[in-house]
Parts: sequence; C-alpha cells; structure tokens
Amino acid sequence: MGVFWKSIRDNRRGWIGWIVALTAVAAMYASFYPSINNPAMADALNSFPQSLKEAFHLEDYTKPENYFAASVFGLLVPILVAVFAISAGVRAIAGDEEAGTLDLVQAQPVSRVSLALQRFLAIVVAMVAIAAVMCLVVIALRGPGQFTALSPGRLAAICVQLALFGVMFAALAYGVGAWTGRRMYAIAVGAVVAVLGYLANSFFTQIDSLTWTQRFSPFDWYLGGEPLKNGVQWGHAGLLLGFAVLFVAAGTWRFNRRDIAV
Amino acid sequence: MAETPAIRTEALVKRYGHGGATALKGLDLTVAPGEVFGFLGPNGAGKTTTIRILIDLIRPTSGSVRVLGVEPRSSHELRAKIGYLAGDFVANGRQTGRELLTYLAGLRGGVPAKRIERLASDWDLDLTKRIGSLSKGNRQKIGVLQAFMHRPPLLILDEPTSGLDPFLQQQFVSLVQEAARNGQTVFMSSHVMSEVQQTCDRVGIIRAGSLVAVEHIDELRERALRKIEVRFDSDAPALDVPGVSDVVIDGKVLRCKLSGDADALVKALARHHVVDLISEEPELEEIFFTYYRRTGE
Repeated sequence: MGVFWKSIRDNRRGWIGWIVALTAVAAMYASFYPSINNPAMADALNSFPQSLKEAFHLEDYTKPENYFAASVFGLLVPILVAVFAISAGVRAIAGDEEAGTLDLVQAQPVSRVSLALQRFLAIVVAMVAIAAVMCLVVIALRGPGQFTALSPGRLAAICVQLALFGVMFAALAYGVGAWTGRRMYAIAVGAVVAVLGYLANSFFTQIDSLTWTQRFSPFDWYLGGEPLKNGVQWGHAGLLLGFAVLFVAAGTWRFNRRDIAV
Repeated sequence: MAETPAIRTEALVKRYGHGGATALKGLDLTVAPGEVFGFLGPNGAGKTTTIRILIDLIRPTSGSVRVLGVEPRSSHELRAKIGYLAGDFVANGRQTGRELLTYLAGLRGGVPAKRIERLASDWDLDLTKRIGSLSKGNRQKIGVLQAFMHRPPLLILDEPTSGLDPFLQQQFVSLVQEAARNGQTVFMSSHVMSEVQQTCDRVGIIRAGSLVAVEHIDELRERALRKIEVRFDSDAPALDVPGVSDVVIDGKVLRCKLSGDADALVKALARHHVVDLISEEPELEEIFFTYYRRTGE
C-alpha cells in the first residue's frame, strides 16, 4: 500500500483545501436558509416564469428539501465536486506520466495495476472524506439553520449520492488518462461530460426534443431521484458506481498493456 | 550449465505506434553477470528504447528479452533487483530528497536509513531540501543514489553523469567500480568516453536500432590510433614503418598516427637524434565515431 499512502501524503494539502472549501460552500448556502424561509421570498420566487423556475430548479424554497436540493447540493457543490474529481483523476496517471515522473515509480517493483488502483483508491478516500465532512457539518447546522425538518438520514443519503457522483467523474478522468496517457484528453472528456450532463439536467429539459437526455445525465443520477425526500436512490447509485467501475477497469486494463510515454 | 546472462535480448524489435518509427531492428545483446557493459551510440540510435524495454516501461514489438533470466513483463518483482536511472531523471519537486528515497526504498522492500544517510553525506547532498529547489546537478545526484542505494544485482543507467560536474563524474566512476567489485552487473549508456574507459569491461555500439559491434575495452585500446609527435635535432626524416600512417613533416617535427605495437617505430627512430617524443593516450572516441558513421552493411 506504499503507493496509496504516498498518494495521500503528496496530495494532502490540496485535498484538505478541497474539503474545507466545499464544506464552507455548503455551510454558507445552508445558513442562508432562514432568510429564504419567509413569505416575501416565496412570493418573489412564485412570480418567476415557470420555465425559468424549472431551468434553475426554483421550486418552493420555503421547504428545506427543495431549497437544499437546489442551492446547497444543487448549484456550486456538484460542479466543484466534478472539478475536484476530474483534476484528481487526471493527475493519477496521465498527469504524472506527462510530467515524466511516472517512469521512476513504475521502475520499482510494483505492478502497473496495483500502482494505478492504489492511486485511484486514494482519490476515492478523498472523495468520501469530502462528502462525509460536508455531511457532518450540514447536519450540525440543522438547529441553528432552522432546517430540522431535514432528517440526518436524508442528508446522509444525498451525500452518498454526491460521493458516488464524484467517484464517477474521477473514474472517467482517470480512465481516459490511464488509457491514453494524455492529460488534455482526460480533462477534455471529463469537462465535456460534466457540461453536457449539467445542460441535460437543466436547459435541455426545456427543449422537447432533448428532454430524453436528462436520463443520461450524471447530475440526474445524483439529484434526480430527490434523495433529500426519498433517501438513497439505489438505481441511480448503481449507475454512478457501475460507470465508475467500468471506467476504472477499462483504463487500468489498457494502462497495463501499453507503453509508458517518455 | 553456463551462468544466466544478466541481460539477454534476441531479435528485439520495437516499433512505436501504428506504422511509426522503428527504434530497434532486431537487437541481439548479451551482458554477462558481473560485467560492466557500456552501451554507446549516437542520439536516437535506440539506447533509451532498449533500456526502457529492460525495465518494462515499454513493450517490445517482437523478439525476446530476459533480465536476470526473467522476462521483464512477466514479473514486477524483478525490478526490486534492478537499480534504474533514467536519462532525464525527474521526480515530483514538492517532496524532499529524503521523502523520495524513503518511499522508493519502501517499495523495494527496504534500505537501511544509515545507508541512505551515508550515501547522501558522501555525495554532499542535503536530503531535507525539496527536490524542486535543488540544482540540476543535485537532482541528478538523487537519481544516482536511488539507483545504487539498495545494492541491486543489476544497475541499468541511462546517461548517468549528465548534469554532473567532472568531480562528481569521478565520484560516479568510483561508485561503479565499487559495484563491479561487489559483483554487481552494470549496464550503462554514456557519451562520456573517459568514464566508459575507466569503468567498462566491454562496450556495445548501437546504430540505427541494431548492434554494430561489441568489443572489449582493452582490445579497442590496442586498435586505437595514438597520435605521435617526434622532434629531431635536424630536419625530420621520412619514415616507412608498419602501423604508422598520416605522416606529416614540418621542419624538424614529425607527426603521425600509430596503431598497435610501438616497437617498429621506436626502432626506426633510434637511428636518429630524437629531442622529444610525445605519444598521446589513444582516443577511443575516434573509434566510436568510425562506428557511428559507418553505413549499415
């Protein structure tokens, strides 16, 4: 497990920064809830056109599950998680390979598969840590933030979905990077999937001929089943996990067979 | 049964990509255990490609490779027995030298901390500094140390002294000589002829992806042309001696090149009054150049 611990150690500062930043963003949105939860704000929101409300997921914000799904867990957090996951996934193999530093490690008595999987495992641990810390902090804010109506179990459910969502993006960037050895390909594929997935889950739902795309959006697999109301969505969780396993397996398979670039 | 060669390749071919450049065209190479083998050739001849195949960083298109009797691809454990120094040694610059060396030592199954400290102090290297803040020479020192620190049976070194100053090059030569005394096998590519002459038992010369010659250093030295300059007390005489070529007479001075035995020349000179006689150390470099330039047969 030397590679795993080294990966944690090398990335500890950056990953702690992500934990702090993402938790701070979620906590800020959460503590904003009391000022949303009043009749004047509800009236203001109700005056927006329906299509705009749908595009931005503006529902009845006075209900905490709606507000939290749209703001705390719906806006910045998943986007930042995707950015974190893609950048971590890219670095695991492709970034190291392009920097020329993979040579040295791969010249040690550690197999390619073990090296790659240990590094991916470190990312999974970081992603779980992000989701767990965010979850605990938001649960701790239930009283002061006046959203005790949201049960800790439901908050934990959405954090599980969020962690899987992040793991899937990390797996995608890792997989493309491990397959090709090229940072830019991994970043590009990750970014395109994130952007298209986001659009499919928001603006495309307004275009009749494109509504079908929502079912294929990782954002839908994360939030679409409304885990804050309904708990963990096992079908969606399975999709996120299934694709993650597929991307990791494919990338690692190819990485074990190809040449390492100079 | 003969000892297993430290390195053996047969008809090794490496093509990059689909229809890409052919870097190796059927390389046959055998390095005996305990030998110090110099791997020479112009840039782009396939030296680094060969070395990266031995470490299993890249895979051959065809042909066979055995390192310490094992196919590199079949066993990652093999690499615990190898010390490898890449041609352009790079490591993540945000860690300290000690962090990196400890990490690599751990992956290889452990190196006594004392050994690392000892090498670092011998090489005047500060292990507490982050690698990114070190000069190129100091970074290369870390590369050399990590290759030697676990006393591997086989050292594979790609241009090991690039970036080292002449003093450190000399220190490197002693490290290789010590390894050779310990019975370690050393396979190194180099451009620095002096270190090749001082360390290597045999050299292989690769050109355009195939091995064009394998020679013992001593035999090469015998065959090498040495430059001779003779100063007489009167006009230099014309000489016709076997082994002497490129005779140039300039007043009282005669310059020529001599290959092999010097006896005939000395006896011919003895008939004249010789004021001064200079014989330069044979330049292996020039022999290598003749191999480098020679077109494929």
